[in-house]
Amino acid sequence: MAFVNLQNVTYKYPLTKAPVLQNVNLQVDEGEFVSIVGPNGAGKSTLCYALAGFVPHFFKGEISGSIEVDGKESSKSTLDEWVLNVGLAFQNPFNQISGAKYTVFEEIAFGLENIGVPREEMKSRVEDAMALTGIRDLADRSPYSLSGGQQQRVALTSILVMRPKLLVLDEPTSQMDPIGTREVFGTIRKMAEEGMTVVLVEHKMEWIAKFADRVIALKDGSVLLEGKPNEVLTSDLLVENGFGISRYTSTAREAKKQGIWKKESLPVTLDEAAEGFTK
Amino acid sequence: MHERLSFHIKRDSFIHNLNPLTKLVLTLTLILIAFTFPWYWTPHLLVLVAIIPLSLLGKVFREFSVTALRLILPAAGFLFLMQAFFQPVGSDVIFKFYFLDVTQESLMFAFRNAMRVFVMVSAFTLFLVTTHPSELMSDLTRRGLPGQFSYVIISTLQILPQIIAKSQTIIAAQRSRGLDTESSFFKRAGSLIPLVGPLVFGSLMEVEERAIAIEARGFTSKQTKTSLHEIPDPSFDQMLRWVLVALIILSIALNLWLS
Ligand SMILES: Nc1ncnc2c1ncn2[C@@H]1O[C@H](COP(=O)(O)OP(=O)(O)OP(=O)(O)O)[C@@H](O)[C@H]1O
Ligand SMILES: [Mg+2]
Repeated sequence: MAFVNLQNVTYKYPLTKAPVLQNVNLQVDEGEFVSIVGPNGAGKSTLCYALAGFVPHFFKGEISGSIEVDGKESSKSTLDEWVLNVGLAFQNPFNQISGAKYTVFEEIAFGLENIGVPREEMKSRVEDAMALTGIRDLADRSPYSLSGGQQQRVALTSILVMRPKLLVLDEPTSQMDPIGTREVFGTIRKMAEEGMTVVLVEHKMEWIAKFADRVIALKDGSVLLEGKPNEVLTSDLLVENGFGISRYTSTAREAKKQGIWKKESLPVTLDEAAEGFTK
Repeated sequence: MHERLSFHIKRDSFIHNLNPLTKLVLTLTLILIAFTFPWYWTPHLLVLVAIIPLSLLGKVFREFSVTALRLILPAAGFLFLMQAFFQPVGSDVIFKFYFLDVTQESLMFAFRNAMRVFVMVSAFTLFLVTTHPSELMSDLTRRGLPGQFSYVIISTLQILPQIIAKSQTIIAAQRSRGLDTESSFFKRAGSLIPLVGPLVFGSLMEVEERAIAIEARGFTSKQTKTSLHEIPDPSFDQMLRWVLVALIILSIALNLWLS
C-alpha cells in the first residue's frame, strides 16, 4: 500500500459554492518526491492542507473520500497527532514565524518544545537542521530582521527539525533567488533520499524537472495529468489548460513547429534545450 | 524593519541572574509595601534604600535614571500638582492660588501619592529592563501558566511593531492615492477609515495563517512542553521569595491593624 493514499477526495470550504477538490486520487510511495503544478486557484494549497490535516480539521467544510498517511486515516485522527507525522511549510514566510521567539535558534526549537523533546536532544536537532539548510550563521538573529528568502529557509528548517515522515511544502522558495532555490531543492532531494516522503507545490518547472520523481498536474481541483516530470511538464495538455510552462519548453515548442527542433521530446531545463538545439 | 517592542537590556548582573519569578515577586513587594505600609515616609525611603540600589545592582543605573528623569518624574510631578491643588483636605491653608487653597495636608497627601506612583512605575521599569520576556514566560509556563497565555503576551510584544510598520505602509500607499493625512484632526480621522479595512482584514488573514503555522509545529500538542533555555531557580531565590511574601503580609497586616 502506498505511504500516502487519497481516495476520491472531494472538499468544499464552508464559504465556497463549488468543490475546491473534486475526486482527487493520489498515491505517493515512501521516500518519493512528488511535485504538484497547476494554475492559480487550481486547489494546490487546499490539497496541501488536506494532506497536512488542516482540511478538514482546521477549515471545516464538507469532505468526502479518504486521506491516509502511513496507514492512518486523517478523519479518525486529531490535528495535534497528525502534525507529528506530516509537516507543512507554506508560502508566506512572515506569517510562519511563531512570534514567540527572539532568535532564529529559539524559533526553530519552538516546535520541539511544544512536543516535549528533552533539552539536549533539542539543541542537537536544531543544530543539525540548521546545518542542513545552511542557516547556521543566522542562529542569533531575530527572525523578523531577516530577508524573505532567509525567512523561508527558517520556516522550512522549523518543519524539518520536527522530522515528519511526510513533508508538505507549498511554494517554499517563492522569495528565493536561483542559488537559494537550487540549495533548497538539493536539501529536499536529500531528505527524500533518506526516506522522507515529499509533496511539493512549485511553479519553477526547471527545478521540478531536475529534482522531482513524479509530477501531478492539478486543474480545477482534479488531477489532469500525472507521470514522469519531463512527460508531464512538456505535455500539450498543459498549454491547452492554461498552465505556465518552462520558457525552454515553449521556445522548443515553437522551434518544433518550424522544424528547427528535431527531437521528439521537448526540453524543460536549459541543459536539455542546449543539448537539443546543438544536435 | 522596526525594532521589536522590548525594554530588556542585556547585562550580566546579580539582578539579571535572579529567577524571573523572584523579580516579579520583588516588584510586587515594593509596590505593595509602598502603598500599604502605615508609615508616611515609606515610599520615599523605598526609593533610597531599594529602587536606587537595585538599579545599581542591576548595572542599569544610567538607563534607569534617564527614564526616571524624563518620564516617571514628570508624570509623578503632574500627579503631585493635581492632588495638591484639587484635594479638599485640611484647613491649614499655606497659600491661595486664585480660588484654590493649598493646605499643609493636601501637600503632604500629594507628596506621598506621587512618591507611591514613582515607586510603582520605577519598580516595573527595573523589572522590564532586567528581565527577558521570553525567560519570564518560559519560567511561568513551566510553573503551570497555560502556554496559550504566554504565547499571546510574547507574540503581541513582537508583532505589534510589525503591525505599526504595516499601517505606515498602508498610509503611504493610501496617501499616494490622495489620502489626506495633514489637514484638521476630524478630517484626518474621517479619512483614515479606508485604512481600517486592509489593516483589519489583512490581520485576520495573517492570524489564520499564523494559527496554521504554529499548529503545524505542535502548539496544541498534549505533551508536556519542554524549554530550550534552562532557567535556574536556586534555593536562594526560593528563600528570597518567601521572605518577600512575608514582608507583604506583614505590611498589609499592619495596615489593617492600625486603621
Ligand atoms: N479559506 C478559504 N475559504 C474559502 N475559499 C478558499 C479558501 N482558501 C482558498 N479558497 C478557494 O479555493 C480555491 C482553490 O484555492 P487554492 O488556494 O487551493 O489554490 P492554489 O492552487 O493554491 O492557487 P495559487 O497558485 O494562487 O496558490 C480558490 O478558488 C480559492 O478562492
Ligand atoms: Mg496556493
